[in-house]
Amino acid sequence: MSSTTTTQAAPVVRRVRVRDLPVEQQRAIRARQLRRAGTYVLAITIAVWIMLPIWLVGTLAFSTPADVRAYPKQAAPIPFSTDTMEFFLNARGVLPATRNSIVVALLTLTLSTAIAAPAGYAVARYFFRGRDAYRLGILAVRAFPIVILAVPLAVTFRNWGIFDRVYSVALMHTALTLPTTILVVSSVFASVPRELEEAAKVFGCNAFEAFLRVVMPLALPGIAASAIFTFVMSWNEVFAAVVLTLENRTLPALILYNLDKSGDPFKFAGGFFMLVPSLIFIFFMRRYLFNMWGQITK
Amino acid sequence: MKFRNMSWAPYLLLLPSFAYLLLFFGWPMVQSLQLAFRRDSQILPLRAEPASEEAAITGELERGTTVEVRDVQLFETKAAGGLLTDKVFWLEVSGLNPEGETVQGWALRGQVFVADASRSATGTVRAGSATLRAEAQPDAEPVGELPQGAEIAILAWGKVDSRIAAGGLLQKPQNWLKVSGETADGQTVEGWVERAPIFLKDAKISATGRVQSGEGSKEWTLDYVKRMLNDAKFSQALKTTLLLIVLILPVQFTLAIIMALVLQSQLRFNSFFLYLYAIPLGISDLAAGLVWYTIFTQSGYLNSLLQSLGIIDKPFIFISSANKEWIIIAIVLAEIWRATSLVMVIVVSGLQAIPRDYLEAGEIFGASLWQRLRHIILPLLKPSLQVALILRTILAFQVFAVVVAISGGDVVTTLANETYRWYDISSYNNKNVAAAYSGFIMLLSLGIAIFYLRAVRTQEEKEAVG
Repeated sequence: MSSTTTTQAAPVVRRVRVRDLPVEQQRAIRARQLRRAGTYVLAITIAVWIMLPIWLVGTLAFSTPADVRAYPKQAAPIPFSTDTMEFFLNARGVLPATRNSIVVALLTLTLSTAIAAPAGYAVARYFFRGRDAYRLGILAVRAFPIVILAVPLAVTFRNWGIFDRVYSVALMHTALTLPTTILVVSSVFASVPRELEEAAKVFGCNAFEAFLRVVMPLALPGIAASAIFTFVMSWNEVFAAVVLTLENRTLPALILYNLDKSGDPFKFAGGFFMLVPSLIFIFFMRRYLFNMWGQITK
Repeated sequence: MKFRNMSWAPYLLLLPSFAYLLLFFGWPMVQSLQLAFRRDSQILPLRAEPASEEAAITGELERGTTVEVRDVQLFETKAAGGLLTDKVFWLEVSGLNPEGETVQGWALRGQVFVADASRSATGTVRAGSATLRAEAQPDAEPVGELPQGAEIAILAWGKVDSRIAAGGLLQKPQNWLKVSGETADGQTVEGWVERAPIFLKDAKISATGRVQSGEGSKEWTLDYVKRMLNDAKFSQALKTTLLLIVLILPVQFTLAIIMALVLQSQLRFNSFFLYLYAIPLGISDLAAGLVWYTIFTQSGYLNSLLQSLGIIDKPFIFISSANKEWIIIAIVLAEIWRATSLVMVIVVSGLQAIPRDYLEAGEIFGASLWQRLRHIILPLLKPSLQVALILRTILAFQVFAVVVAISGGDVVTTLANETYRWYDISSYNNKNVAAAYSGFIMLLSLGIAIFYLRAVRTQEEKEAVG
C-alpha cells in the first residue's frame, strides 16, 4: 500500500511555466496545443456537418405552415408551431402506419432476440464441430443483400396467403436483422466471464439456473442494446416493407409510396418524424456501439 | 482449444436460427431463381367466369397473343388456409386463338401484360369556369375558357410534378386533363385543364395487352433476363449505381478515418461527440433522403443561402431532369452524411484493438501524424477496413429510398429502384423481371465480396513472398 502512495505522490511536482522552459520545448508545447486546438475545430466541424441537416429539417417540421412555404427559408423555428407536425400526423394513413411500424418493430425485436439468444449463447460458450462454419455462414448472410429477397418473398407470401400482413413484414425483418443480432448477442455472452457461470454450478445451480441467475443479469444490458438496435433497423427499413404491403403500410413504406403525391410540408415533417427514434435510441446505446460492432468485424 | 464434452446442446440452440434462415433466406433465393428463369407454360386458358379456377374454359390463347381488355374486376379470394384474404384482379380479354378464332373469357391479371391502358371519359365543367392552357402547367399560355356546365371530351391524362413545374414553388402535384370543348362563343378549343373543376362521367378503361404466361408445366427461359438487359433503364441504373459507389466510398472512408481519429484523441466531451457522430447510424435512407431534399429542393436551404449571399438572384432548380449531376451530388452527400457513421464505428473498433505501445513508439521516434497513419495505423486497420468495404459496397448496390426521396427515381435511377419499379403494381407489375434484377444485384454483391477477399489475399501472399 505504501509503495503505491509514493508512486502516486511522485508526479506532483512544482508546476513548470511554459516560458521558463528552453525554446525548443516551448515550441514543441505550443505546437502540441495548436494541434489540440485544431483537433477541436475538426471535431466541432464534423459535429456541425452531422447536426446541421437535422436542425434544418427539424426547423421546418416545427415552423408555421406559412413559414414552411416561405422562401428564403428561416434557419430557426421562430415562431415555434406544431401545426406542420400535426398536419403530417393527421394526414391519411399516417397514424395507422405508425402503429403498424411499431408493431412490426416490436415483433421483429421479440422474434429476432428469441431466436438469436440461444444461437448466440451456443456460439459464445460451446466449442463444437461446425462452429466456425456457422459463424462464417452468418457473416456471409449478414453481408448479403437480404432486402432484395423481398421480391421473391412477396410471391411466396402471396402463395401462402399472408401477403400484406403486418406480421409478414416482421417475418422478413427478422430474417434481415437475425444475423446481426446473433453476432452481437454472442459477443455479449462471450463478455460474461465463464468463471462466474462455473462458480454458480459449483454452488449447486444446474446449467439452466446458472444461466438464468448469473449469466442473464450480466448479459441483459447488452442484449437490450442489441434489441433496441433491432427495433431501429426494422423501424427504418423501407424496401421490403413497400414490397410486402399494399394496404397495411408501415410508416416508411407509406411515406415512400406517397412521395410523388404529397407536398413539401408532409415530406419535411415526415423526414423529421422518422429520424427522432435515432436521436433517442443512439443516446442510450452509445456505450455499447463498439462492443457490438467490434465483435462483428472479427 | 479442445472440444469440451461433445453434446447436442449447441446444435439444439442453433436449430431455430438455422431453420429460420433456411425458410426466409434460402427459400426466397430458390424462389428468386425460379421467378427469373422459369416461365409458365405457353397456353393460357380463358374462363367463362372470373375468380374461379373451376369455371368452364371458353378458349385458349398462346403466349404472346395480343388481346383486348374488355373489363377488369377486383376480387378478394380466400387463400388456402381459409382465414386470410388476398386481392386479385381478373381481366376479361378477347383475342385470336391458334386456330384463328376470336375467343373471349376471364384470366388473372398476372398472366396478361397490360400494354397501354387508356381511360376514356366525358365530363362537364363543375363550377365557375375552366381555363384551358397550352401545356399542363399553371402558368402556361391560356388557349380558351370553358363556361360552367360545358360538355367536354377528355383526350389525355397527365400529371405534373410540382418540383419540376416552373414557377410553381410549393404546390402539390396535380392531375391535368387534355380536353376539348366548346367555349361560350361556340368555338371548339383543345387544351390542358386542371382535374379539380371537371366532373367526370362514364369513365371507361380500354386497354390492350399481351398474354404473358399460361398454366400448367413450367419451362426454363432467358426471356426475363434478356428483357432486363435490353431495358433502356438497365444500363442507366447500372452506371449510376457504380458511379455512386466510386464517388461515395473514397470520401466516406477518408471521413470515417478522420472521425475515428478525432474520437480516439481523447478530447473533452468525447462521449458527446461520439453520440453526435453515431446518430446517423439509426437514420433510415428514406429519412436521410428527405433531410437532404429540404436542402436541395427549389425553395430549399441551399437556394435560400445562395440567395441571401447574393450569389444567385432567383432560385436555381437543382433537382430537375436537366441537372442530373446535381441530383447525383445530392444523393452522394446524403449517402456520405448517413452511412459514414457505420464505417466510423467499425474503424474505431479496429483502432481500439491496436496496442497503444505501437502508437506511442511511433510518437516517441518522432513520426509525424501522416507517417504514423501510413506505416502503423492503416496497415493494422486493414482487416476492419476490409470488412467495412465489403459491407458498404454491398449496401451501395441497394441504394433506393435516398434516390426516390431526392429525385422521385425517374431521372436518376439505380438497380434497386428498377427492381422496385418492375415489381410495383402501379408501374410495370412484372415480378419475373424484378426477380431478374434482384438476382443481378445478388450476383454483383457476391462478385464484389470475392473480389475484395482475393485482392487482399494476393496482396498478403505478395508480402509474404517479398
